[in-house]
Amino acid sequence: MDLTTIGLNSIWLMLATILVIFMQGGFILLEAGSTRMKNAGHVAGKTIFTFGIATLVFWAVGYGLIYGGDGNAFIGWGDFFLNPSPEAVEGDAYPTTIDFMFQLAFAGIALTIAWGGFAERGKLAAYLIFSVLFIALVYPVVAHWIWGGGWLSDHGKQDFAGSTVVHLTGAMAALAATILLKPRIGKFNKDGSANEIHGHNQVFTALGVLILWVGWFGFNAGSTLEVGKAFFGYVALNTQLAAGAGAIAALLIAWAITGKADVPTMLNGALAGLVAITASCAFVDPWAAVVIGIIAGLLVFGSMKFFEKLKIDDPIFALSVHGAAGVWGTISTGLFATETLAVETLDWGQAGLFYGGGFSQLGVQIMGVATSGAFAFVASFIILAIMKAVMGLRVTEEQEIIGLDLSEHGSYGYPEQVKQSMN
Amino acid sequence: MNLPFDELNLRISNAVSFEHLGEERNQFNQMIQNFLSSIEEIKIKEITLINEIHDLFIQRTITLSEIELEDRGFGPPPVSYDFILFGSGGRFEQTLWSDQDNGLIYEDTNHDQKETIDAYFKELAVCIEQGLEKAGYPPCDGKVICTNSLWNKSLEEWVIKMNDWFEDPHWEHVRYLLILADSRSVYGEGKLVKKMKDIYLKKVTSTSTILDKMMHNTLHHKILLGVFGHLIKEQYGEKAGGLDIKYGAYIPMVNGIRLLSIEAEIFETSTLERIQKLKQLNVVPERYALEYESAFTHIFKLRFKTLYKEENGLYTSNGILKAKQLTKDQREKLKSSLRIGNKLQKYIKKKIDSSS
Repeated sequence: MDLTTIGLNSIWLMLATILVIFMQGGFILLEAGSTRMKNAGHVAGKTIFTFGIATLVFWAVGYGLIYGGDGNAFIGWGDFFLNPSPEAVEGDAYPTTIDFMFQLAFAGIALTIAWGGFAERGKLAAYLIFSVLFIALVYPVVAHWIWGGGWLSDHGKQDFAGSTVVHLTGAMAALAATILLKPRIGKFNKDGSANEIHGHNQVFTALGVLILWVGWFGFNAGSTLEVGKAFFGYVALNTQLAAGAGAIAALLIAWAITGKADVPTMLNGALAGLVAITASCAFVDPWAAVVIGIIAGLLVFGSMKFFEKLKIDDPIFALSVHGAAGVWGTISTGLFATETLAVETLDWGQAGLFYGGGFSQLGVQIMGVATSGAFAFVASFIILAIMKAVMGLRVTEEQEIIGLDLSEHGSYGYPEQVKQSMN
Repeated sequence: MNLPFDELNLRISNAVSFEHLGEERNQFNQMIQNFLSSIEEIKIKEITLINEIHDLFIQRTITLSEIELEDRGFGPPPVSYDFILFGSGGRFEQTLWSDQDNGLIYEDTNHDQKETIDAYFKELAVCIEQGLEKAGYPPCDGKVICTNSLWNKSLEEWVIKMNDWFEDPHWEHVRYLLILADSRSVYGEGKLVKKMKDIYLKKVTSTSTILDKMMHNTLHHKILLGVFGHLIKEQYGEKAGGLDIKYGAYIPMVNGIRLLSIEAEIFETSTLERIQKLKQLNVVPERYALEYESAFTHIFKLRFKTLYKEENGLYTSNGILKAKQLTKDQREKLKSSLRIGNKLQKYIKKKIDSSS
């Protein structure tokens, strides 16, 4: 590969990495805005802190467990405490350094998604320990299965940018966490009805979504990895279409069913569209991206209600946005993948059910999403159950009421405002 | 039901103090609560009777207030006046518990007596407000109450104020005008209210855009029927799964019929009477009027089902009816009533848009 091509690939991938890392900023605003003022500083701070932990653990073991060359169908092995060549070497399309950075950014996103299940009641120590264990034991397994040459990639599982690997894995950890942590104080009434615990700043939430939306071009379009004939533009187009469709569908369905054009639901619809198109963005026609986005938007509304009915507290809707939409996105690839894109353009996939591929790809997608989801849930549940028994996951009732800013960090994110509102 | 109206009338008329009236009120409420628990559905004539008894309580409170003022040296009322009820009281549509929504209008006088007369009615209003509170009618949160000088004036001042509102019809003023539309004299000869409302209704006809403004002032109450024809339920909290009968069904119909009545210069305030008048005057086709009547009657009766017993044994209402309390047939009937409510809103919008 000539140096110009390597250079172009590297710049594109580095840019994509920066965009994906910047998505952490989106998550800070999304989670802080969707939760109460008394936890805002904690939400913001812990996101940065745990990304720091994720960085070191991913460098030490995570990357090696996904891509290490001495592994098998279930786990990678090698390249621990990565010390790569400073420059691209012969045969590389881009250097390992940038590949590591890009993969690390994805792992960081999966971890941050998992925090949705901990929100407003998790102990800081639980964040610390789970960061280490998730990045070392949970994420690499699924990532290896699908992207690192594991058994699902042998079956031809199509997950272009990580509907399953990143979003579903994070959401399953969030589900395990929220089940073990139990609902926030005041979320459900004795008669089983739910209370609406409003987030403290809808503008933050919306800005968070916009930052995520922009970052997603790094996530999806960046996953082309190479510049080539600028196929990343096509991936970006599909990403944009699905996000828009998701936002519209979610707002309309909420409006139709509840009579209220609910802003948080609409924002979740945009995110659900993005999550869903993540698996299929390189495999489908633009019209299909719109359909995938619409279905994701409708699904996220139903899923939010569903978890509430089950009395599972999902403070920032991670289960619905990343879980339900992640599953749908993965399956949608088995339906809408076109032969032209999968076989000719990408040269590593198969057409879906609607494009003459029969049920084979759809079957692989369903098997992949079921096994990956099950593994991520069971592994996270076991880890968290042990942590719960040994150290506890949840702050005390008093601490939860006073807020995690004060209980976990000793100072408020908004000192003046919180004191005023408590007077 | 056989509400012992004559006996109640006698007991209320014989009450000699506000406290005594309060005791009678408690007994009356208890009686109605027992009654409501014993029936499946209330009848319109029973609602009328309940409202007549509310009137008796209010009238007796005013009489006792006049007596108290006389005892305190203010003398008898210096000029004639009407005590006005607004809101559900004005429409003769009170349930068991209602806030005070009231005002006062008194005869004009020459200038030199004005100060004394104003002072009398100011004092009377204070006495009535406190008396009504003791008789179980809490003061209005929205400050639509006789002790607020905005709602306690001589006829001339009322007309000036009304004109101000018509001439500067911003949101709050339009709200005031809509409140006035439901005014009914509960004490006094009613002539002053009649005069005021005649002027009001004429003014509406001569003020081109006011109906449009009145319509927009009330449109934010949406009927609780979704686009798929389903009932829209409350999502969260203790109201979860409930139907907001008050604001999602009753109030939109009241607002709609009121607007048509104002346009047709109808003096009546009760929604059912207004519908009758609209029919008589051929303002709406008879077929529509019959539909409105049946839908409103159904919704109005359901309002009484939203009264529920609290832990301390008292009935109260947040206007919410649990959807589970209704059978499938009742839900279907409610939906068809709401569809008529929707039609009414559309009809009004079309009518007013085309006339403005």
